[in-house]
Amino acid sequence: MTELRELARRLLSEGTVNAVLGWEEGPRGARPAFVTTPDGADRLIFDHRCVHNLASYLSPRRPHLKRLGKVAMVLKPCDARAVAGLIRETQVPRENIVLIGVRCGGVVTDPDSDAALSEATVADRCRGCPDREGRLADHTVGTAGPGFPGPSHRAQKIEELAAKPADQRWAFWQEELSKCVRCHACRQVCPMCFCDRCLADKTQPRWIESSPHARGNMAWHVARAMHLAGRCVDCGECERVCPQGIPLGLITRKIASVVAERYDFRPSDDPAVPAPVGTYRMDDPQEFIL
Amino acid sequence: MSTTTFIRTEDLKGLVADLRAAGVGVAGPARTSDGAVDYRSINAFDDVVLDAQPRNSLKQFFLPPTEPLFKYQRKGSDVAILEISATFPPRVIVGARPCDAAAVDVLDHVMNWDYKDEPWFGRREATTIVSFACPGGDRSCFCTAVGLGPDATRGSDLLLVPAGDGYYVEVVTEKGKRLVDAYPKRFGAGAGVDATLSYREKARASVEGHVPARPDVIRQWVQEHFEDPFWADISLRCHGCGGCAAACPTCHCFDIVDEPETLDAGTRRRNWDTCQTSVFTAHASGHNPRADQCGRCRQRVNHKFAIYPARFNDILCTGCGRCARTCPAGQDVTEILTRIVAMATGQGGAA
Repeated sequence: MTELRELARRLLSEGTVNAVLGWEEGPRGARPAFVTTPDGADRLIFDHRCVHNLASYLSPRRPHLKRLGKVAMVLKPCDARAVAGLIRETQVPRENIVLIGVRCGGVVTDPDSDAALSEATVADRCRGCPDREGRLADHTVGTAGPGFPGPSHRAQKIEELAAKPADQRWAFWQEELSKCVRCHACRQVCPMCFCDRCLADKTQPRWIESSPHARGNMAWHVARAMHLAGRCVDCGECERVCPQGIPLGLITRKIASVVAERYDFRPSDDPAVPAPVGTYRMDDPQEFIL
Repeated sequence: MSTTTFIRTEDLKGLVADLRAAGVGVAGPARTSDGAVDYRSINAFDDVVLDAQPRNSLKQFFLPPTEPLFKYQRKGSDVAILEISATFPPRVIVGARPCDAAAVDVLDHVMNWDYKDEPWFGRREATTIVSFACPGGDRSCFCTAVGLGPDATRGSDLLLVPAGDGYYVEVVTEKGKRLVDAYPKRFGAGAGVDATLSYREKARASVEGHVPARPDVIRQWVQEHFEDPFWADISLRCHGCGGCAAACPTCHCFDIVDEPETLDAGTRRRNWDTCQTSVFTAHASGHNPRADQCGRCRQRVNHKFAIYPARFNDILCTGCGRCARTCPAGQDVTEILTRIVAMATGQGGAA
């Protein structure tokens, strides 16, 4: 923590950056922090409650954050995949951000949790995560625990679902998606949903009905899944923020496994790794093209 | 109305069974498949979970997330409007929290302001709200700071407070009295108000002091500080996800859409909407008067604590704290209001 605070203080006092995005202690546990003065660096924390993916704040559709000027961002190894995605898709120029990697041995699910990090409390997405330290960083600080073995419960759930007949899978998703109230929180918090004008907000024509009925909800979640194929970095924020408790990670992870299998792409924290969408290879699977 | 009576827990179970047998819909806080507690339809009082604040509020029972208003059919250059016959079957909500019951009453103002909202009042009239005095909240609760309390009766038809082997019952409205009168064998003599006092005091103590009880100070400061760096400061962490509005018992804005179902026919619906998104205020011209999240965060506070009070002399917030609990970024209304009071009373307030 001292190392992180001293680095942030130095970057701010030397004028390298105007703001440091990290985490602080809020009224309900850890939360995103925006530090703009050297003394404010003492607010910064990092521990197993820092679950948020701060890369969402780098999205170009957030003009009020752009006004901060040049920022440094504290990032976990998994968050680095989102930043790499934004750089890969030319949304954030690499030279405009200073990246402070923190070593990470896993986080819990709830930033307001009092529980210690353990096999029982660790976030499912951390199970099997091999990264204690990100590669996309200008500075790396802190120490990390050993991490947690996989597979994740979600991977098991995806296999269970895949083994079911189509009508049962359909029934499962009909029920889950019937809870959706179309607040679009999943989109807003997603670091990779950065379109200035989302397909779901367009009205001339209305591609996706905004009503939270079966038709509109299915259209929205299918569109979201397709638009995140080969792009989702598995930060789990969509599922965490869903006020209705829909297991959205099952959708994004299933799509990710298909992309991994078919196009040999896994979310990477190397911005130079080409994105499967926008890359054509002679040996791409194409038997589904009529 | 200020009569009181008593109901034993066994009779409460029996009352829910009686209501179900009579074909009355019953809803209450109950466990969902993902382990949360939501207000939802129940079949028996044993399903009711009273020790956790439900994730949703009562608003979807009166203002559903989506609701068809009418159907339309084009014939040549004419348009025929086909009414959707709305019926509102009787329903009893058992185990409402006082903050959620009060919210429905707060919303009656705006639903009967320039236009009487028929579906809203249709459901209001058909629904009897049986609230249970709240056992106490967490650090995000602040009902006492907005003029309510864990045992407030506002919006409830009956208020039940645990006492002895059942519940002390405050009959708040005529509708509540009708429910008691319809099932006289279920109600009777029992513990008096004295037996409820320690429960009430303990609950009140758990929610007090989280926000200064100064709604007039908050209202005045917000009215006088439309332009203030405070709004930019608090908006930095906001994702504009609107989770706060979805969870809020009093956020009631809706969008009206026409959804074509064939080339010539479709349905006009209204759907929940939120001022936290960019499209909420986007003009057809492309101009957006709330160009970024600063204006949207301000609007949420402004509407609840200044605009609604100015128009209806009532606060559009019941202190339930759901917005703070649901926010993925740790935005906290108790902190915002506390800082406003501190700034207004000259005690600083910078982060």
